[in-house]
Amino acid sequence: MWHIIKRELYDNLNSLRFALATVLLLALMLTNAVVHLREHPVRMQKYRDAATQSLNTLTSRTDLYDLAQKGPGKLYKKPSPLRFCADGGDSLLPTLADAASYFWSTNTSKSFWRMTYPSATPNLKNIDPDATNIDWAFVIGYVLSLIALLFTFDAVSGEREHGTLRLMLANPIPRHTVLIGKFLGAFISVNIPFVIAVLMNLSVVSTSSAVHLGVDEWGRLGIIVGIALLYLCLFLALGLLVSARVRQSAVSLVILLLIWVSFVIFMPNTLASIASRFSPAKSYDAFQEDRRQTRRAILEAYYTQREKTDDPSKRMQIAGEYVTEDAMQDGRVRQEYLSERISQVSQARTITRISPVAIVQHLLEVFAGTGLERHLQFVENVQLYDREYREFITDTESADPESPHIIGVRDGMSKKTVSPASIPTFEDTLSLGKDFNAAMMDLLLLTLFVIVLLSGAYLAFVRVEV
Amino acid sequence: MFKTLIGREFLDNLMTFRFAAAVFITLLLVVAATAVLIKDYERRLESYNTSIETHRQRLRKWQTYSPGMGRLNVDRPPNPLSLFNVGLDKRLGNKIPVSHSFVPSLWDAEMDSSDNSFLNIFSSIDIVFIFEVVLSLLALIFAYDALAGERERGTLRLVLTHPVRRGHILLAKYISAMLCLLVPLLMSLLLAVMLLTTSTSVSLSTDDFLCIGGIVLSSLAYLSVFYLIGLLISALTRRTGTALMLSMFAWGFLVLVYPNMILATTPPQDASAARGASAFNQIKQIYEEFDRERRNFLANDPVPGDDPAFDMDSPGRWTTGDGFMENQLTLLYYYWNVLSYDEFYDRHLSQVPHVQNYYGFLGPRIVNTADRVWLIRKQALDEIFVRPAFVDRVLLKLSPVGVYDAATQACAGTDLKGIQDFFDTVRQYRQEVIAYLYDKKAFGSRLWFAGDEEQVDWNTLPQFSFQGSDIGTKAKRALPDVFLLLTINLILFVIIFLIFIKSEV
Repeated sequence: MWHIIKRELYDNLNSLRFALATVLLLALMLTNAVVHLREHPVRMQKYRDAATQSLNTLTSRTDLYDLAQKGPGKLYKKPSPLRFCADGGDSLLPTLADAASYFWSTNTSKSFWRMTYPSATPNLKNIDPDATNIDWAFVIGYVLSLIALLFTFDAVSGEREHGTLRLMLANPIPRHTVLIGKFLGAFISVNIPFVIAVLMNLSVVSTSSAVHLGVDEWGRLGIIVGIALLYLCLFLALGLLVSARVRQSAVSLVILLLIWVSFVIFMPNTLASIASRFSPAKSYDAFQEDRRQTRRAILEAYYTQREKTDDPSKRMQIAGEYVTEDAMQDGRVRQEYLSERISQVSQARTITRISPVAIVQHLLEVFAGTGLERHLQFVENVQLYDREYREFITDTESADPESPHIIGVRDGMSKKTVSPASIPTFEDTLSLGKDFNAAMMDLLLLTLFVIVLLSGAYLAFVRVEV
Repeated sequence: MFKTLIGREFLDNLMTFRFAAAVFITLLLVVAATAVLIKDYERRLESYNTSIETHRQRLRKWQTYSPGMGRLNVDRPPNPLSLFNVGLDKRLGNKIPVSHSFVPSLWDAEMDSSDNSFLNIFSSIDIVFIFEVVLSLLALIFAYDALAGERERGTLRLVLTHPVRRGHILLAKYISAMLCLLVPLLMSLLLAVMLLTTSTSVSLSTDDFLCIGGIVLSSLAYLSVFYLIGLLISALTRRTGTALMLSMFAWGFLVLVYPNMILATTPPQDASAARGASAFNQIKQIYEEFDRERRNFLANDPVPGDDPAFDMDSPGRWTTGDGFMENQLTLLYYYWNVLSYDEFYDRHLSQVPHVQNYYGFLGPRIVNTADRVWLIRKQALDEIFVRPAFVDRVLLKLSPVGVYDAATQACAGTDLKGIQDFFDTVRQYRQEVIAYLYDKKAFGSRLWFAGDEEQVDWNTLPQFSFQGSDIGTKAKRALPDVFLLLTINLILFVIIFLIFIKSEV
């Protein structure tokens, strides 16, 4: 078998396609690294400035009522240092959550903060022509898969045309050894340019001082390369399968290219477009109407309650209850709207998993810490922090024995100064464990595809007539 | 002899598997995409109609001119030809505020849509995109063995023993392959147009059909460019295997890699920040001057003081405010004010003429300042945003894909210039509205801010309508690119001819 692999390898290494593939992959990966080095520091700087500013505003507040009324301010999503692996449409996703309060106020009370999730519309002013970002996901998903097909389309049919297959099978070698040899030969010969390109890309990225890659990131990069290799196997197996079933290599190539065009280029976006209609999210107007109604009901309840009593402390209590309730309910409606929109997108994404390129895109995004999955984690972090912050307010409040304990009104709350160090700060963390959870299904699906196609190729090759 | 050659080549191509596959896949993809795109268009149209209605109703709520001028919005209709090439049609804002206090531009438009903004992470596929990818691939698959294959099999030598000119052989190959490639192209386009016309929501005018004709023409030219690239590679190489590999990598580079790579590598403009800051300061200065004049007037006027509400309040509904709106990124800076009372207390009635006097002074000045500022802003916006975008587009045209994309966008009217036409129309509409205000003597009138005696009849306001750029302008924009495609065709053909004439068989 080693003999067959070696022969395949020599054949491929001397071929034109090997040279062209090397040049193409190197050029793409170099572009990717250069662009990342140019853009990442800018992005980081922007994030750091914004986050510091928001943190400074937060810690400058020492009054508990201020803290409780204005909330934690803007919370920013930390840009991933691995964005060169998968862009994930990050520039089209929101980068922040905003704890905003409203103008509503009376003499004694003001509207409280609630978490809002502004939607990003960065494309609104963008008049540049459309372009896909050159990230690893593009290089792997589109270019590498095409190269894999170009390396395998004539693996069996070409040899049959030349008659060398008959010659080889005249020797006492089992057929599956031949197939495995061919597979490994193609695998190694595609891997050589790919690995060179990846190493060059990483060496450019890591030698620069602008991008810091820690142990965690290197681990993630390892996983990403592993996924790329699995994906490569999928297309090699597909190429072998078609090549074994078809008599002419020209026909085999046509079939492979058409499969490639429909599955890789056409399907992900069209399927997503169809699937997103199945469970449309609430429209923006309906959401605003919901909010208005919820808030009006609470406000009216507040007015009727207030009419009933003249006792100032009682009134204070009612006002406090109103502002907290209003903030809570409004926050809840916003939360629901957000999760509805996200679930619409996630469902659309689930259906695109028929296409392997969508799977690999998703996997790379998960491990690179970009895209929708990352945004979900950010939202989760924000919600955790939201709870923590509220707990901090109630804890500080109940720790002060002198205060009347009416949260929501200035006079009803603790007057003690709050030390800036005790205020909880937002940290946008990523955990590899969660990422694995999110990726498991895709990983299994990808492996399943590879196994099915490999066994298909095996069956086709065993039955082939020479 | 020539006819026999064409006939032979044609049959050769027609009977192949690749022809069947080409027809099947193009039909499948185009029909599926059209069905999805029509649904998408219907949704956008519906959203457009609702927002027109909402905007009209919101305007009607106001009885005076002043708040109405802050809430007048114009909606951009979805372009039915965006199904062919979506261009910028879906991406840019579709709700444009029209006010006398600033001149609206592309950068002030907002997105008024019920769409889920998270769906932006999926890119949309239009018919031209499918052609870009699939047709070019098919053309190369048809071309790669046209010469190399015959040379390998020795049939080329056989043909050349007959008294046939080499040019004729080449031409016959070209014509027959193009005829074969036309079948999937035309069939799929016809089906797409059929689907379009049967859909009730999409209404196409004669001009639109002419534009579709333009798209077909440029598709043809594009197809032919890729066929000739394949033929060139085929003429240059001795073996089909090599020709195939070269063609595939050429395709990957031209279609997949180059357009994305060139846009990633164009460096960001550093000078634009300084240019923007200087223009912004200039604009700010003009408004400072304007503000001084305004304060002067108020100081000389005995009654009101400088409160925008003129120290009045009202038993009914009232709204008031003024200030400067700014957005440094898009160089937006303007003075806005709004003042409206449904009723007055009797003690304030004596102030009304003074307020009238003030707005009679202020209104025309706001309009003039806005017009003056626009001249500066337009130039700066052009330099900062439009020029780099055009440079990017020129760079894209180094690949036939970019030329084809530009030509079809121009035909569909979804290119940058087509969209700019819309905003030009909006600016004209603003002028009409201002003329209407002057005509009604609105600025100095009671009706500007007081709704206690009469109410504004918003029905007499000029209506906005946009019919799309006319066919002549569209053709003028598309033709250079179509000609460029044709020139590339011609050059490629001549090169292939020269190579083929000199080559040994």
